[in-house]
Amino acid sequence: MRKEESLVEHLDWPLFITFMVMLVTGMATLYSVAYDDLHPAIYDVSMMYGKQLIWIVVSLFLGLIVFLIDSDIYRRFAFPIYGFTLLLLVIVLFMPAVHGARAWIGIGSMGIQPAEFAKISTALLLAKYISGISVKQQNISSVMTASAILLVPMALILLQPDAGTFVVFTSFLFVMYREGLTFDPIILSFVNSIPGVRFKETWVGSHFIPILFVMIFISVITLLLNSVQLDFFFLPFTVSGSIGVISTLLIFSILSILFLQRFSAKRERTRGTVIIVLGFILTSGLSFIVDNGFNSLATHQKDRIELFLGLREDPNGKDYNRNRAMAAVGSGGLLGKGYNKASVSSVESNHVPESETDFIFCPFAEEWGFVGIIFLFGLYLFMLIRIILIAERQRSIFNRVYAYCVGMILFYHFAINIGMNIGFAPVIGIPLPFFSYGGSSMMSFCMMMFILLKLDSQRKDVLR
Amino acid sequence: MNFDIRRYVILAFIILVGFLYTFRLFYMQVVDDTWTLRAHEVAEKRIEITPPRGVVFDRNGMKIVSNRTYFNLMMVEDEIKHLDTAAFAKLIGWTVKDVRNRFKEIVKGEGTYYNKITGKRTSNYQKIRKYPFLKELTLEEISSIAPHLENFPGFYEKVTSMRNYPFKSGANIMGYLSEVNREEVESDRFYRPGDNIGRSGIEKFYERELRGRKGIKYIVTSALNNAIEPFADGKYDTTARQADPLKLGLDMIIQSYGEKLMKNKKGCIVAIEPSTGEILAMVSAPSYDPNMLVGKRNISENYPKLALDKNMPLFPRPLQAEYPPGSIFKLVQSLIGMQEGVITENSGFPCDKSMVGCHNHPSARNVAEAVQYSCNPYYYAVVRRIIQQGKKKRLFADAEYGLNKWHRYMTSFGLGKTLDADVSGQRPGLIPDAKYYDKWYGHHQWAFSTIRSISIGQGEVKLTPLHMANIAAIIANKGWYFVPHFVKSIGRKGPLVEYRTKKRTMVNAKHFWPVIEGMRRVVNENGGTARMARLEDIMICGKTGTVQNPHGEDHSVFIAFAPMNKPKIAIAVFVENAGFGGTWAAPIASLMIEKYIKRKITDKEKEKRILEAKLAYISTPGQ
Repeated sequence: MRKEESLVEHLDWPLFITFMVMLVTGMATLYSVAYDDLHPAIYDVSMMYGKQLIWIVVSLFLGLIVFLIDSDIYRRFAFPIYGFTLLLLVIVLFMPAVHGARAWIGIGSMGIQPAEFAKISTALLLAKYISGISVKQQNISSVMTASAILLVPMALILLQPDAGTFVVFTSFLFVMYREGLTFDPIILSFVNSIPGVRFKETWVGSHFIPILFVMIFISVITLLLNSVQLDFFFLPFTVSGSIGVISTLLIFSILSILFLQRFSAKRERTRGTVIIVLGFILTSGLSFIVDNGFNSLATHQKDRIELFLGLREDPNGKDYNRNRAMAAVGSGGLLGKGYNKASVSSVESNHVPESETDFIFCPFAEEWGFVGIIFLFGLYLFMLIRIILIAERQRSIFNRVYAYCVGMILFYHFAINIGMNIGFAPVIGIPLPFFSYGGSSMMSFCMMMFILLKLDSQRKDVLR
Repeated sequence: MNFDIRRYVILAFIILVGFLYTFRLFYMQVVDDTWTLRAHEVAEKRIEITPPRGVVFDRNGMKIVSNRTYFNLMMVEDEIKHLDTAAFAKLIGWTVKDVRNRFKEIVKGEGTYYNKITGKRTSNYQKIRKYPFLKELTLEEISSIAPHLENFPGFYEKVTSMRNYPFKSGANIMGYLSEVNREEVESDRFYRPGDNIGRSGIEKFYERELRGRKGIKYIVTSALNNAIEPFADGKYDTTARQADPLKLGLDMIIQSYGEKLMKNKKGCIVAIEPSTGEILAMVSAPSYDPNMLVGKRNISENYPKLALDKNMPLFPRPLQAEYPPGSIFKLVQSLIGMQEGVITENSGFPCDKSMVGCHNHPSARNVAEAVQYSCNPYYYAVVRRIIQQGKKKRLFADAEYGLNKWHRYMTSFGLGKTLDADVSGQRPGLIPDAKYYDKWYGHHQWAFSTIRSISIGQGEVKLTPLHMANIAAIIANKGWYFVPHFVKSIGRKGPLVEYRTKKRTMVNAKHFWPVIEGMRRVVNENGGTARMARLEDIMICGKTGTVQNPHGEDHSVFIAFAPMNKPKIAIAVFVENAGFGGTWAAPIASLMIEKYIKRKITDKEKEKRILEAKLAYISTPGQ
């Protein structure tokens, strides 16, 4: 009885409520997008919404179990759990392919995707490993071990092949970065092998991961906008995509400098300004180089890159998804078309394929418009920031690392999934957490959240 | 080492992405409407319902242009499954290669467009849309194909309509339709690729009146192109409306009769109702069956044949053939002479053949006799007086003054300019003025003696048969005319306003009497040149002409109106290479007049002679 009370008492209600609101919103969106006049009941299990409802109930039941079990077992059994999912990832490779990928265990719609659960087990093992090493031990071997924990499931997932989940696994690099497990030791060993050089650390090495991601992010956006002429309503002319990227960066830099001047301490001001100016020069330079470099490539090389980015397609042919998705999103307007009124992205009209799974953001954006987007982004940002706050208040490194893992996985899913609906990310199939139709992803995201909530509720029991 | 600061890097990432995405979505959803338009394009389908074209009646209320049902064989590539090309080719009577080529042709025919988003040229062809695989199948053709279509999923039949000309005549009047070209689609939003547009004749001139109003239905469609629901509950839909029928002044009975008479001859007949300016008949020979140019299949088969025919059946002679008028021009010369006061109706001139030849007849003692005898020397004298009036001291300046005055008279008769009838492609003919001769001979380098052949309608003067018929109408009206036109009424509206205003010539009504008297004698008196045109009970007034033709046999021409006292019809007949005007043109005109007024022919011998005459070696296509 005491335990029950403490759960209610120590549960992070803001996060829990956000989580539940998201489940309800997601369910409502799916009901709208897949609605069929002949099967109006939301619990009709012959329909997607009926099935999704079952998955949610199962997930909540699993969540209850998670709440009842002592959280210590995750730390203790992290390795067996990891091993078990690896085994599943191997078994799945011998399963028949569905849509060209061997991602499912089981038959038909009742199958599960081990890759979804591998995210949790990897997060747990990573948390356990990082919590077990001290700061002083952060050397090449610890970096390599942590990387290996990621690389093994990643390799197996790539064999399926499932590019989307593979990319999501790189979110753990951010967690390693937060914990100081960077690639600096490796870079140092190279740099210090030059006679006469003796660095204790390199800035680039320590911040290798965020720098890398900023570079990738800017390059991808530049490439996606490479052949697009942006037409701003307040400008009498169109601007090319790379100019658009650079001017956006400029606006951000100026805004952050103004922010800095207003709110930061005097000592920080000069340093911060220099960093922002340098950052702007480097990022816009990168964007410029990528843009021009791409234009100077031979046609077949261009084709290959465009193929990877999902650009090498025509709107009625293969680029169907992106083009239709963006049309659906864009047509939402300020206030949207209203609930159950998505004319482009409903399952019935089927203009946006996969609008119930990977492209479920489309019907939401179409039905609720920009106002709905603000609400949704508010939920997401609140959830992510809340998770980071929760992570930072943990006494145990295990809990903190796990919380960061959950936060970064969700961030990745939100960023890439929504990005591909608005032309900011290549079309790689990953679900939108709590929205997309699908049992495995629903259960895995819910489990992830429930374990986090449980760990957090017991944070005071843990001494380490 | 403390890494706590790094949480802010991660938070910054999250917030940055959040802001970037918000801005992007604000731009996509609120600012830029490219995507909204794209969504309309994708999800809403505009279905156009093209109404059947307006029908056309003649003055007797007979439907002379109607529509007939045809079928298109449509295909949707996405729905085609396991197509047995050989069996399909056999069904439609094609070779396998033809079928394959047709698929490629359809894709190619759709063209490409510049996609703003991907920056590439992309085909407009969509696998999920319907395209006509075969067009314009007749009921017989589709009924042998349709029962087997269930074996070929992805192919459908679709009803369409095309023109039908039950009388098989009047091709030069009605014109024909053909598919719009790209410029027409781009310049007029009414048309979509595959629509038909009037290419010539009435069909072209009254395109806007005949095409009607398209019905437009907006529906929300699925990606498979299935209609889901009407868009906005049909708020923006409009219903298709067929155009009001056109009623022509044309009399289909004499039109077809005229075409029959002109068989195996080259030339034309133009008949006008003088009191209204309505064109009763406009025969262009040789002609063709207008049904030969209905639909893409017929056009591609027959048009080249007609276009390459050396007798030029597509050439609208009544409007475009510019002939010297010959002796019929003397009528106008007499009128101008009297109005100018250089002669009176009783002026006589000796028929001395010193300057120009003439046939044997007594000297004309007055205008009526001059018309009756068609005396060449008489008109030399008359036109010399018109041109050289002695108003200027120098001979050349005097000729310039006189010719310009003469030119103004001619213009008031509608000559030397297009008449602006409601058919496209009219030619102006030629009435020379001083400037014209200045160009040839130099300023003040010419006088009447240089240009005298215009007096008898030869030389530089050129008129179209429509002009000639209009002269007859003006004389019948004694000095005025309505611009000749076909359309009597459009729905409940009368003819276009430009055909409701009387045009007056510069000649007084009183001067017409002696000319009319002369014309009466031409047909009805002994010694008249058109005795063969005479009818017992209808008083025809006419004038023959024989147009000198340096390339061969002279052209035979005759203009007339009848009855004399209350003219109902004015007519011009022009038969190429037929010799003397009285021999061929006059009897043809007479038959036409009789047919129009009495609806029957009394002199069967005369009719037989004309019908059997072969005045040109013509292989009449399609008839």
